[in-house]
Amino acid sequence: MEPQAAAVPAGSATAGRRRPGYEPAHLLLYGLLLAVVGVLVVLPIASVLRGAVVDATGFTVAHVARFFYTPLYLESLRNSVYAGVGATALASLLALPPAFLLGRYRFRGQGLLVTWLTVPLVIPPFVGAIGLNQTLGRAGVLTLLLEDRLGVQFVAAEGLRGVILAHALHYFPFILLTVTAALANVDPSLEEAAQVAGARGLRLLWRVTLPLVAPAYAAGAILVFVRATDDLGTPLILNVKNMLGPQAYFRITTIAREDPDGYAISLVMLLLALGALGLATRLGQRREVATLQTGAQRAGQLLRGWGPWVLLAVSMLVGFAGLLPHLGVVLLSVSRVWSLTYLPTGYTLDHYEEILFRAPQFVLNTLLYSTTAAVLAVAVAVGIAYLQHRGRVPAPGLLDFAATAPIAVPGVVLGVGFLRVFDHWAVPGLGVPLTALWVVFPMLYVARRLPYAVRATSAAMAQVHPTLEEAAAVSGARRWRIFRRVVLPLVLTGAVAAGILVFVTAAVEFSGTVLLISRVEQSPLSYGIYLYAQSPRGRGAAAALGTVAVVLVALGTYVANRIGGRRPTLTW
Amino acid sequence: MQMAERVLAVEVELDRLTKHFGITAAVRGLSLSVGRGEFFTLLGPSGCGKTTTLRIVAGLVEPDEGRVLFDGKDVTRMPPWDRNLGMVFQNYALWPHMTVFDNVAFGLVERKVPGSEVRRRVREALEKVGLAGMEGRFPSQLSGGQQQRVALARALVVRPGLLLLDEPFSNLDAKLRVQMRSELSRLQRELGITTLYVTHDQEEALVLSDRIAVLDSGRLVQAGSPRELYEDPKEVFVADFLGGANLLPAVVVRAGTGEVEVELSGRRLGVPTDAELATGQAVWLSVRPEHVEVTSDSSGELRATVQATDYLGWTLQAELVLEDGTCLQVRGLDPSAPLRPGQTVGLRIRPERARVFPRRA
Amino acid sequence: MMRRCQRVLLVLLATWLVPAGALAQAGQVVVLTSFPRELFETYKAAFERANPGWSMVVVSKPTTAGITQLRERAGRPDVDVFWASAVDAFVYLKENNLLERYTPPAELRRGIPDRVAGFPINDPDGYFVGFAVSGYGIMWNTVYMERRRLPEPREWEDLLEPVYFGHIIMSTPARSGTTHLTVETLLQGYGWDRGWRLLVQMAGNMGALTERSFGVPEAVIAGQYGIGIVIDFFGLSAIASGQPVRFVYPKVTSLVPANVGIVRGAPNPEGARRFVNFLLTDEGQKLLFRPEIARLPVRASLYVQAPKGFPNPFRMSPGVRFDANLSAARYQLVTRMFDQVITFRHAELRRAWEAIYAAERAVEEARRRGGDVSRAERLLRQARASARLVPVSEATAMEIAREVDRDPAYRAAKEREWEALARQAYGRAVQLANEAAQAVR
Repeated sequence: MEPQAAAVPAGSATAGRRRPGYEPAHLLLYGLLLAVVGVLVVLPIASVLRGAVVDATGFTVAHVARFFYTPLYLESLRNSVYAGVGATALASLLALPPAFLLGRYRFRGQGLLVTWLTVPLVIPPFVGAIGLNQTLGRAGVLTLLLEDRLGVQFVAAEGLRGVILAHALHYFPFILLTVTAALANVDPSLEEAAQVAGARGLRLLWRVTLPLVAPAYAAGAILVFVRATDDLGTPLILNVKNMLGPQAYFRITTIAREDPDGYAISLVMLLLALGALGLATRLGQRREVATLQTGAQRAGQLLRGWGPWVLLAVSMLVGFAGLLPHLGVVLLSVSRVWSLTYLPTGYTLDHYEEILFRAPQFVLNTLLYSTTAAVLAVAVAVGIAYLQHRGRVPAPGLLDFAATAPIAVPGVVLGVGFLRVFDHWAVPGLGVPLTALWVVFPMLYVARRLPYAVRATSAAMAQVHPTLEEAAAVSGARRWRIFRRVVLPLVLTGAVAAGILVFVTAAVEFSGTVLLISRVEQSPLSYGIYLYAQSPRGRGAAAALGTVAVVLVALGTYVANRIGGRRPTLTW
Repeated sequence: MQMAERVLAVEVELDRLTKHFGITAAVRGLSLSVGRGEFFTLLGPSGCGKTTTLRIVAGLVEPDEGRVLFDGKDVTRMPPWDRNLGMVFQNYALWPHMTVFDNVAFGLVERKVPGSEVRRRVREALEKVGLAGMEGRFPSQLSGGQQQRVALARALVVRPGLLLLDEPFSNLDAKLRVQMRSELSRLQRELGITTLYVTHDQEEALVLSDRIAVLDSGRLVQAGSPRELYEDPKEVFVADFLGGANLLPAVVVRAGTGEVEVELSGRRLGVPTDAELATGQAVWLSVRPEHVEVTSDSSGELRATVQATDYLGWTLQAELVLEDGTCLQVRGLDPSAPLRPGQTVGLRIRPERARVFPRRA
Repeated sequence: MMRRCQRVLLVLLATWLVPAGALAQAGQVVVLTSFPRELFETYKAAFERANPGWSMVVVSKPTTAGITQLRERAGRPDVDVFWASAVDAFVYLKENNLLERYTPPAELRRGIPDRVAGFPINDPDGYFVGFAVSGYGIMWNTVYMERRRLPEPREWEDLLEPVYFGHIIMSTPARSGTTHLTVETLLQGYGWDRGWRLLVQMAGNMGALTERSFGVPEAVIAGQYGIGIVIDFFGLSAIASGQPVRFVYPKVTSLVPANVGIVRGAPNPEGARRFVNFLLTDEGQKLLFRPEIARLPVRASLYVQAPKGFPNPFRMSPGVRFDANLSAARYQLVTRMFDQVITFRHAELRRAWEAIYAAERAVEEARRRGGDVSRAERLLRQARASARLVPVSEATAMEIAREVDRDPAYRAAKEREWEALARQAYGRAVQLANEAAQAVR
């Protein structure tokens, strides 16, 4: 906060003043923020790119080329894309029936159903995978029931299928929310026009309604695709190795930090994510035309006929499916012995004692890192948003662009970049690399979550009309006072809500964390879950930590929504 | 009490102000002076530079050239917070996170006025604008008119030397606008505060102002009392913008000092003028719609055909076409006059009320 | 007020930034280990109690990642002690000049034999010290075995039976040091060719290969898989904590010390020595008996105090005398080859054995019906041979081991070669097995 406090007030009063030339105080802040974003975002990404295409002999495409003739990597690419497509398809299947029900009909308990259906968002996929293992895995409750009662041997949550399931169950609410909102916002006159023209029923749905909500759907679906494609934690928990994330992780951590293949894999992951997000952006551009400009919601229909009731039944089934990971995690966290039985045969609170009292550092570290990350991210985001809207600096968009770039960067790639850059940065006075200090974790989380913080703060800043500052200036307030009394309070709610979301997403960040972790004492909760998940005595403590994570995320999301007044838009 | 409330009003002088935004000139060499306690209006169409001028006076925009003087003192480079101003913005610019009390108290707090006095003056200011008891509300809980009053109270509570108003009533409905107008007028007279008012609404300008400056494309066209401007516009722009005169194309047939003779639709008219005009020069003949007499017997100087009539109950107005095809508005007709579309009528223009302006091809 | 707040914040920030250990009391020791939490947390607490003012910082990594870290930080290490099971990892580190010589005081060496089952407990050159003994074996979940009506295995060869198809689980040697020791034990116990054939065929029976060795007991305890190939203490500690599992040492096993060594150029040499010494005190040794640890101490005299049923390695005669130098010399070769032929090709390998078992059943059926099965049997023999690929002969292996270790480009080329071989062989096995099944239909 300190540098900002010094630099921000300078320009506040000049909001509307458009004198050619730049404001020195703004330039100072601009330089500072550029340096921060440069170090946290640009440098690591550039370093990964460099690692992939530059070696001792200079520029080379040999490493990237080798990716494409190494069958293992090609298979990993195929598996990653398969997992992404599968998760997207399954999530769509889960999301669309309830979305249609919620977007088109009006009934009692609708709000309750929405809440219920969005509960899966609070369980990160790699925690969910632990729970799924207990419910749909090889020794899972439902797997055993299926075998015992119906004689069918089918393991739903295993291998790639498990990865797909974990992501689909976590992300389907995301598609659900975007499509519900889009359906509710479709201008009724567009459908009425089609009805007048003779389109009815399914034909109307197919030819008019679906194309209208398609851009919203595409945005949600592509997010699911990207997350499932570049995930690391879920495959590791489910013991899936032939995917891009795990392969990059193995190359870097067990072969060598300078292994060019690791960087080549990272580059491919980056390109894949960029491609998908580019596609999402293109599809999203067609969006506004179809929605009500006024924001008025269309009146829902009542539940008449059997159609909506079927939708309701399907939605409830989806709701139950969405709770399977939670169920598994919570039960596992209190189980002493749970071996091939429907429910645990012995219960205990030992696991909670372990993680809360015997080894509390996981939770404490997470609180420390996430809080630090949230404060830093918000401070940086407020600065960036301010300069973007009020800055008298050259190319204010540059900063915004750099800060939101990580949205397309997989966590593994950013983690690899951090490792590559900061392992060579010796901390003055301590003689250890920056990666040995805990601050590297908040730094990573800031870099990963900055896009969300910047977007939210920038949106809040855009709401602050320049005349509010001018009115203060005319009323006798000087620059710093204007910032303190007018700009900051107005941006703060948005920024705090963004900060809380940064906090919760940082609390469950895994992909980058696992690459940077060295000392167990410095482990945050997410890595703790991974450590405990490999305990030879079972995953109880991992599940207990997972439960803590779920509670943290649920609380944070609730508070952020209360403050920000918006639907959750969580993504890890 | 009233006397204590009176403020030390300033005298404002603008000296050859120029301001460019990129390559477009918003204000071009504008000079004006506003007297102590005067209600002065900057009037003009949107984009004429009136708001920019106001913002230069406020210190929110720095001019490229020229000076702003308050009581003869150059304040051109002085930041807004040191100018001791009150300003009401078009969108009111009330701070949504503060209560009405905090909004109004803001300037006092910035001036480090002691708490008890802040409370007293805020209460008085709110009483003055008729919002007593609304201290605890937030702006979002107020109607548009109430927000307007809070903005006014906020501007006045600091006892500014100069009150700046930027189209303050444009977001209000017609009835409320009229009401607020008279309240503003009353307050301004009561406090004797120098007021600079920006509007594009000529009626507002005429009703409120001691003096008006008409601006066009960043340039001062004419300044004067409402009556001067209406009755004796010096430029065709003023005649047109203020009161909507009929501009009829005519040609000077005989030049002279103090008066010229022009030909309009085949008839000749003698019109008084200060302008230097040559024989054969194309001119606009400017005639206010209420200064045209219509006779049903078509015996007047000019002949015209009735195109349409608007019956307003207490009066009648009509659109006529002269023989050469020029359109003409007429108002203030006797509502009982038997005018029908298609009818041919005679017109008489009162020459002493008409003006001529040079017409460029 | 504001000013003071800022100063307090700055101080807070400064203390935050400094890692806990750098504000050292008497001193600290940073220990790089592959051991599970249960073990290092117990030792951390006991060490800090026994050495007031000293703190122990743990860096938990798989053995292989630990070696990578030490190699990349050679000369400027950020850890003091390397503490792990895999003896060949220590041999590797020693040969690459990454360890410091240290001989603990004589009174701490008292009661520790020179050898266990013929294997030297301490490095003869004094670069690392054995503090516990481990053997390798098979653990299984009794509930699982009952549910699936599976017989209990005793020997490695038992695991080749078709009945266990899909029920076995192990870890991968490339990322688990103890698994690498198990693999080496089999390769040394059965010989290179037989050992690989055994491993590949056994892997064909496996349901999964886990990322870290801990994943194996975890999966067996949860009942996801029935049988796991593990280091002994995983089995023993699971039994001790009341899980429904059993553990057995097969005849072909080795007893190998788990070790500790001081890293060359350790930033805290005194802390490092204190830690090594602590492991060898009676207190440090007896911690091994704890149920959550369940390892075999090196001080033979302590076994009278062992819990009931605890194995005594000094009374066992394992079938393999482990050659750590051989193991270290071909470490990269074995782990890379295992990855390419087994870990990453596991799906194809499983399909091959599934096809073979199906064909075997068809042939058996045909034989009972009295049909002519000679061609089918020939095809099946070829299929089985193809699904038990040994990509490199023992002689070649020794020749190329050095190159594989040293030259990444050469290694990458070999990796691609093995992968292609494996794909081809397993694909051919499926084809042959299907032909065999066709032949008797």
